[in-house]
Amino acid sequence: MRGFIKTLFGDKRNFFVAAICILAAVIVLHTPAAPLAGIALPVLLLCGAAYLAKH
Amino acid sequence: MIGALAATYLTATVEWVEAYTIVLAVALSIGWRRALTAALAAIAVLAILTSAGSFFLLRIGNLAVLQFLIGFFLILFGMRWLGKAIARGAGLKSLHDEDAEFASLRALPEINEARAAWAIAFNGVLLEGLEVWLIVVALGVQTHHTIAAAAAALAALIVVILAGFFLRKPLARVPENTIKFTVGCGILAFGTFWVMQSLGYIWPFQDAALLLLFAFNIAGGLAITALYKT
Repeated sequence: MRGFIKTLFGDKRNFFVAAICILAAVIVLHTPAAPLAGIALPVLLLCGAAYLAKH
Repeated sequence: MIGALAATYLTATVEWVEAYTIVLAVALSIGWRRALTAALAAIAVLAILTSAGSFFLLRIGNLAVLQFLIGFFLILFGMRWLGKAIARGAGLKSLHDEDAEFASLRALPEINEARAAWAIAFNGVLLEGLEVWLIVVALGVQTHHTIAAAAAALAALIVVILAGFFLRKPLARVPENTIKFTVGCGILAFGTFWVMQSLGYIWPFQDAALLLLFAFNIAGGLAITALYKT
């Protein structure tokens, strides 16, 4: 069961980094800079992957 | 669809290679027949999970909710694989070594006990296969090609079985980190695309944006790996 949950959600750090990236993209999507949200999320996710690689 | 099938096939290849190492280590202790029944039992559980997962996801009537759920799980998966591949590529983490994995499994005291060894093979194949299951269900349901995705995973399984049958040793020469890096970038691109679409974002260039996202992840991932190396 633990393996199943880990496969779906990863560890806590993985989950929160992804959630924060998506939340930030949602915020951008509701500002006048909405067209840039499609750039913001990939950049944030790449930064997230870089953070996960280092920690 | 080709991108989704390629990602499924490559993910499955990496996971089945790891599962094969476990089955091989167990087979040398309790024999091939018992080790293969454990592996087949795990694959049967995965097949049931695939059917159940697809069934429940297809019952979600709201397309945006379905896209967000699948996209979120793909982002979690892609980010994990890309992060690991960057860490290994940059030398922050040691590369996955099938020979070392095989040796550590063979050194386990319980591997010589029939029931415990059977459980090691069953749990090993099941755990490695869960990531294949996630990709088959997520990409299959979202692209409406679940059977094709499952067939891609099965094709990878057959290739690994054939390679294992002829080599009779761990498949250590599979470029696992390169595959994980590429698949991580691809899965992250799919996840990003669908999450943003579910939130109402209209991608410029429509589906072609997927390729741009993939290229962006590859370039960015390589740049971060190079940066961490220095």
